[in-house]
Parts: sequence; C-alpha cells; structure tokens
Amino acid sequence: MSTYNSGDLLWLGDWGSLWILFLLILGAFVFAISYYDLRILSKRKCWTLVGLRIWVYLLAVLFLLEPAIDLKNTSKVKNQVAVLIDSSISMDLPSEAGSKTSRLSLAKSGLKALNIPPNKTDDEHVYSFFHFDKESELLPNTDALQAIGPKTDLAGVLEDIKKGFSQKDLGGIIILSDGIMNGDMGSRTRRGETLDAATKSTLERFQAPINTMVSGDPASLRDLAIVNLARDDFAFVHNKVSIEVSIQAVGIKDRDLKLMLSRDGKEVQTRLLKIRKGKSIYKLRFEFVPQKIGKEVYSIDLPHLENEALYENNHAQFLQKIIRDKIRALQVVGRPSWDERFLRRHLKQNPNVDLISFFILRTNQNIRVAGNDELSLIPFPTDELFQDELGSFDLVIFQNFNFGPYDMRRYLSEISKFVKEGGGFVMIGGDLSFSKGGYANTAIADILPVELSDDSDAIDFRPFKPQLTDAGTRHPITTLAFDPTANRELWKQLPDQRGTNIVLKAKEGASVLAVHPTLSYGGEKMPVITIGEAEEGRVMALTTDSTWRWGIERVGDGGTSREYQLFWNNAFRWLIKDPELKLIRIENQKEEFDVGSATKIAVRLSKPDYTPLTNQQITLSVEFKPFDKQTKDPVKLYTRQIRTDGGGIGETMLKMEKAGIYTIFAESKTDGGVLKDRDVIIALGSVNEYRDILPRPKFLKQVASASGGRFTRLGKDTPSVNLLPSKSIQVNRRRVIHLWDTPWSFLLIIALLASEWMLRRRWGRL
Amino acid sequence: MNRREYLKCMASLIALSSAAIPGLAIAMGPEDKFTIAQLKYKGAFNTRPTALRRLTLEVEKRTSISTGPKIPRLSATQKSLYQYPLLFWSGDQAFDSLPQKATQALRDFLLSGGMLVVDASDGVVDGPFVQSIRRELTAVFPNRKLSSIPSDHVLYKSFFLVDKPVGRLAISKELEGIFDEDRLVLILSQNDMLGAWAKDNFGSWTFNCEPKGDKQREMSYRLGINIVMYALCTNYKSDQVHVPFILKRRKWKVD
Repeated sequence: MSTYNSGDLLWLGDWGSLWILFLLILGAFVFAISYYDLRILSKRKCWTLVGLRIWVYLLAVLFLLEPAIDLKNTSKVKNQVAVLIDSSISMDLPSEAGSKTSRLSLAKSGLKALNIPPNKTDDEHVYSFFHFDKESELLPNTDALQAIGPKTDLAGVLEDIKKGFSQKDLGGIIILSDGIMNGDMGSRTRRGETLDAATKSTLERFQAPINTMVSGDPASLRDLAIVNLARDDFAFVHNKVSIEVSIQAVGIKDRDLKLMLSRDGKEVQTRLLKIRKGKSIYKLRFEFVPQKIGKEVYSIDLPHLENEALYENNHAQFLQKIIRDKIRALQVVGRPSWDERFLRRHLKQNPNVDLISFFILRTNQNIRVAGNDELSLIPFPTDELFQDELGSFDLVIFQNFNFGPYDMRRYLSEISKFVKEGGGFVMIGGDLSFSKGGYANTAIADILPVELSDDSDAIDFRPFKPQLTDAGTRHPITTLAFDPTANRELWKQLPDQRGTNIVLKAKEGASVLAVHPTLSYGGEKMPVITIGEAEEGRVMALTTDSTWRWGIERVGDGGTSREYQLFWNNAFRWLIKDPELKLIRIENQKEEFDVGSATKIAVRLSKPDYTPLTNQQITLSVEFKPFDKQTKDPVKLYTRQIRTDGGGIGETMLKMEKAGIYTIFAESKTDGGVLKDRDVIIALGSVNEYRDILPRPKFLKQVASASGGRFTRLGKDTPSVNLLPSKSIQVNRRRVIHLWDTPWSFLLIIALLASEWMLRRRWGRL
Repeated sequence: MNRREYLKCMASLIALSSAAIPGLAIAMGPEDKFTIAQLKYKGAFNTRPTALRRLTLEVEKRTSISTGPKIPRLSATQKSLYQYPLLFWSGDQAFDSLPQKATQALRDFLLSGGMLVVDASDGVVDGPFVQSIRRELTAVFPNRKLSSIPSDHVLYKSFFLVDKPVGRLAISKELEGIFDEDRLVLILSQNDMLGAWAKDNFGSWTFNCEPKGDKQREMSYRLGINIVMYALCTNYKSDQVHVPFILKRRKWKVD
C-alpha cells in the first residue's frame, strides 16, 4: 500500500439512483415491519433482532452496490515552457554602442541567468528550447547557436508553438530577442506605437504568460538607415512613379546629407536629407518617369558616417516592373490619303492607343492663296517629335512620308536609335516612302528589314494580291484565320493592293510574311510584308499603301472590315512586343528573393500558332551582378540545356547565394527561327532585418504586458519570469480492490442470519 | 558608296528591270490617288458636271493631297462605290424614292467608312430636292436625324479657317449633318457649292456667286477643300497639338 498515495471508494454496481432510493425505502419498510412484529419482546431483545435484520439487509444492499477501493499512485504534471531565442541576423549586431557583445551573446547570458536546470526540468515546469527567425526550430545546443536568420516573424512562431503544445499544458513562453520583428505583428505595431487590437487579441488568446527579455539598448546606438520604401509593385511607362523613402537617423548630430536614387549605377535623382535634433524619422520622395517597359533595378543610397552600427542599411535596392498603360503611337504622314484616314480612324477607335498624328497637309509645291492666319496649319514640330518626345512613344509609323523637305535627315539616326533601344517602327508604302522617299542609305534603311533600291522611282503600280509565305501563314501578324489553309484562302479573298514600292529583298534575319506574286529579285519574290528586329526594337516594312481597301472594299464584297482591323492590331501588338505574343517566355513567380533562397525558373515555348512547343531544347543561362557600383560586368553563373514538357514548359532551379541582380537568358532554335527572352530578378540580403536595427524594448514590454508575462532588460535587470503553476495530476499506478467480492462477506451475512434465527428461536419467536 | 554596294545596286536594278514590270511610275498609280465620286440616280444628278473635277484640281494645287483625274459617277448599288469613300449627291429638283436596295447600300457604305456630301443646286432653302433628300435620309438612317453642324466643328478648320458655309449662294447659314459616333458621315449644303466651283470648257466660271462674288467663291472653295480634308483626316485638327495654334489664329483667348 505504501506505493499508493491516494485512494477513493467506488461503487461498481450498475444501479441507478432511483433503485438505491427504492432499496432504502424497502429497508425502512422492512425495519418497520420487524419492529412491529417484535414489539412484544423486551426492548433489548427487540432491538437486537431488528438490528441483526437491518445489518443483513444493509449488507445485501451493499453487495448489490459492489463497493470497491480505488488505490492510486499520483504525481503532478509539469507545465511546458517554450524558451524562444531570436536567431535572426539582427541579433548579431552589437547590443549597444561600442560594445563587443552581440545581442545573441547577451541573450545567451540572460538564458543562463534564468538558472534552468541542465535537464530542463524543475518541480513545476519542463523547458523546451527553440531558436526562431521566420520560423522556429528545436535548439539542441544553445552555445552553438548563430544569428543568421533573414527575417523575424513572431506571430508565425507563436502560432507554431501553440500548435506544437496543443496537447500539453503550456505554463508560459520566454522570448529573448532584440524586438526587431518584421512579420505581421512587428509590422502592424510600428516603433513608438501601442500594440494594435489584433495583436492584443492574439496574445490574450494564448492563455499563457509571454515573458520577454530584450537584448540590446537602442539609446546609445548611432545609425543612419533606410527603413522603408513605399512604392507600387509596378509602374506605367511614361507615367510618374513616386517612391517614398523613410530614413531613420539616430545618434547623429545636425547635418545635411545626400540621398541618391540610381539606376544601373547611374545617378537618376538626389534629395537633401536635413538631420535635425529631436527628429529621428525622415521621409523623402523621389519622382521620375520611366521611359522603357520592362524591369529596372534601382538603388537608393545614403553616405556612410563614422561609427555607424551598420552600413548595410544605408542602401536599398528594388526592382521596378514597368508596364504599358496605353500604346503611345506617333503617326507621321506625308500626305492625307485614304490609307492614312483608315489607319488613323482604326487607331483612334482603340481605347488602348494614345495616338499622336502629324500630317503634312501642304508642301512647298502647293500654291499659297491664303495667309497663314487663314489656315489651320501648324509648323512641323520636328524637334519635339523626333528629339524631345521620341522616347515617350512605343511605336513610330512613317506612312507615305518623305523626310527630305523637312530637313529631317539629322533625326533619322534618332529614330534608328529609338528603335534599337526597344521602340517599334513601321514604314508603310506610297509614292513618298522607301526609296521613293529617299530612305536608301540612311539610318532608317539600316533598321528596315528590307534592302532598298537606290532607284528613287522604284514603284510598280499594278494591282496585286500579296501571297503569304510559310512564315506568314503562321505568324501572328498575318494570321487572320487560325487554320493555315483557311488563312491562305482568306488572304486570297482580300481586295487587291494598288501598286507597291519596290524593294530588293529581305535582310538576313528578317522574316518575309507576304510576297509580291510577280515581282522578284535574285530568284526570290519581292517581299511586301517584312518584319525584323533591330537590336532591342522591332520593325515592319509594308510596301503598299492600300490596306485601307481591306477595311471598306471588303465590305462592298459582302465581308467585313475584321481582317483590316485584325491585321493592324496584330502588327501593332507584335511591334510593341506585347508579352502575350512572345513565343518564348521566362516565367518567374516573383521578382525579389531573399539571399540563399532558390526559385524555379520556367520557360514557356509556343509555336507560331500559340500551341505548346513540346520536347524542344532550350539553352538557359544566368548572369549575376552584385549591387555594388564597382562591378561593371556580370558573371555568368551557368548555362543549362533544358527540354520542354507536354505543356511546352521547361524548368530548372536557380539558387541565389549572393545579393545582386540575376539576369536570365533563354534561347531556343525552332523551325520559325531563334527565339530569345530575358528576365531579371534580384536577391536582397537581410533586407528586413537590417532596415531598422534599433532594439524595440517597448514593443516587447507591451507583448509581455498583454499576455500577463514579465519584461526584462537583459544586462540591466535581473531576469524574472511569470509561469503558470502546474495544475494537472498524473496517475502513475492504480489498483481497484472489490470489497464485497470475498468469502468473508458471505460468511458474515450467513453468521448474522444464523444469529438472528437462533436468538429469535431462543426468545420464543418462530 | 563603295564598289561592292554599287555593283549590288546595279544588279538589283537589272534584276528588277528583267522582271515582268510593265512600267515604273512616279506615284503609286492613278487608282490610288484621291478621287471624289458622284452619286448617279434617276433624276438630274449631274447639275454641275465640271464642279467636282475643279474642286479636286484646287485640292491638288493648294494641299499635299494627290488627286486623280476621274470623277466616277456611280449608282448606290454599284460595288465599285466602295473604292471611293467620298461621295457627292447633287441635284436641283425632286426625285423619286430610291429603291430599298439602294438605301440599304448607302447605309452600309456610310457606316463602313464612307462619307456623303449632299449639295442642293436649286437655290431654294428646303426646296424640292432637299425635301426629297430628307425623305431618303429617313430611309437610309431611320434612327439618325440631320442636325446642325456646330460652328466650332473641325470641318470648319480642317485646312482653312472657315467662318460660315457658302456656295454659289449664301441662303443657308449652316450645314446639316448626320454623325456616326463622332464622325460626320453626311453633310447637307443648300448653298449650291458645286455651282460656285463649276467652270465651262473655256475656263470661265459658270455661275456668279451671290451676294459677294468671287470672294464668296473663294470661301466656297475653301469649304470644299475643308470637306475633302475632313474626309481624309477626320478630326485630326481637333488633336490637342493643334488647338493652341488654331485658337490663337482665331484670336480667341488661350487660357
């Protein structure tokens, strides 16, 4: 029995309370009958016999109730205590100015000061050690812990702890941290603010005190840091982009500093930062207008001051995705014509096109019968169009336009440069276009996908129907019907073109989509619709000036203007590199990654009809360039050969070991030519942890207060924690002894019955 | 040009010459030049036979537009109508209703990009011809009504700055029109513009212009050229880039 330290009486009989009540009433009735029957006997004899009968009855009832003794050996169940040590990279910083003790070392010392037994168990609690950053992990050896985590997400970690201890009694949590939290909880409560309602509610729901110990003192630190960049994930080209930079300056005397925004290592803008006493947070705004679609890597830099706690946070990088809001097209026309009118009308009706037109309505050859004040003519703004504003356009259309009379030769190289830097250009035929417009041997001839004749009268005026080439059958510009055969038939039904400019042949690398049925050069039919690329830009050469007839004559033939609209829509989308029309596309899940993370790079390949191009080899290479301005040339990381699957997608992994710019190139040789794509992603090092490096004791104090825990400043206060006492009991051993189930109990009843029978007989009662 | 480029160029020209090219021209061909068509219908449709050619000649002289020599006269149901998106409809007397097929064809033509200019030569406001026209237009556009073309419409500034619409006469102070969205598809003039433009074979003006003589004729030509320019450039002159210049020349205040 000494092994049991507690016991309980049990009733094992399966009798309801009504039955027990009935038996008691029955017993009382039996007692009354017996007393009545034996009342003639002396009082002693009467009560002796009644007593014996009551005992027998009570024993019988007791047997029915099956009494037993439940013996137990019990002990207290110890509450669980989670000890969380912040192992994010900010814990590697000095605990205070001039100190060589890191915040992590101070936290380790604080942990020792708690005097937790080596077996992590005391009378009331069992301690489990974790380190945490963006998630928590069991910590087998505190001494070996290093501060390398990229992010601190306290809310997520507490949620994990709650789930992990859901089957156990949690006596409390002890957090040792510098308080720099960049997950939900830390972001919701900014420095100096009180805890928000959601955080308070989360902490209260925990039902266990959270004791916090701050490692580090913000008072003595000296640091200049870019703590936040407020910006949109993407911007529209040619539209103002606004970036608000939040700067924290602590421990720095009054002075003026330069904040610089740069792109690709070149300064874009600067702002003056005036640091003044009594103010620690400053907000400055950069505004600029991106000129190109794509992804641009920007850097914001503050100068390095002496004795700063950290220099990494004086810099911030971000990748700005610049997309198109509208196609900005410049239509320059040498003379009004139906071709111009239908194209202008088509572009004007498209809400996604922002069209600037300029038409030459009168030339020097025209008779002037009215003064300028009686005309609505304006000067040809060549400087504005081809120098100042050229970069703001996505597409330039030269429609039957000759540059000669307008002293424009000097702008042709600007247009060529505009195209080579990514712009779109289309030259549409007419008696002022191609060689007839004097473009042979000019900068425009360099970018055109066709070779021009030096004969300035090279025009053929016979009507003709352009014939699609194989490439034209499949190319999105000339795909007016999905089925290639139907497409060819459709082109045959289009109204005739009335004449063509004569060009020699397509340049190498250009694609001829349609040819003249009879004109030829060197055995090859003369190209009518030709496309090509000039470095980053795209160019189309259309040697006729009567596509407008597809828009109206086709209606007269019983058709619609659909083909005209589709042709030009397709052409403009291709010229401006509409991403949806790219046959090869690098697809990344996001643009910005943490250093050390890995991402899957997917390359999607499509056939010209935009069905998946399967089992096709892709050469994928990655170049890396660090953010620093000293490194000019990127380093090639790898080149891999991958193959597309049934969905036309090839995949590979990229691990980003260092902070910087990763440029991905994909190339595939297909039947339709070499397809290329390029994408940029960046890896940012410790971006969250180093933005604001000041310890946040107030935040941790509020966390402790909201949950009923205690707050300690490590290195200054004696560590103190509030943990819930153990409430649960654990049964280690148990034994149930049945009191009625013995021969002695039956013998006792028999003995009592026998005694009653014997005494009753002796006392003269039968 | 180096020797190789020169030889290449010469070779290309020889090759092109050897191809089956019937001829090289200094323009894309007469078919592709701007031409006005005249609507042919049962009645006196050709009241001013030389006027439209005179207008196209003036257009050629005064603007950069290259015009063709022909003035095709086509009925509404002729398929070739679609080759000439600017169509003039003139007359000086009442005419019978057009067949339904013709009104349907006119509607299709105008809504697919064509433009119709109606010019009354009878010299009477709302005369028999105009009444016939109004009747036909209800058949062509049952749901669109003729309305006054406002004086600030781009038609009055598409090339010349024109204050009011005049022709041989100045009996109507306004032009009427029918719009398809923001585009004028039909213009109705009652001032006999064609009468002001017409010349005889000796080069003399066929009619005198009243009341302001040749000055009025000049203004009528300017309006005709503006109509051609509008047909080819639509609302180009209402583009923002032109607005300050035009306002300044009209001596309107620019904010």
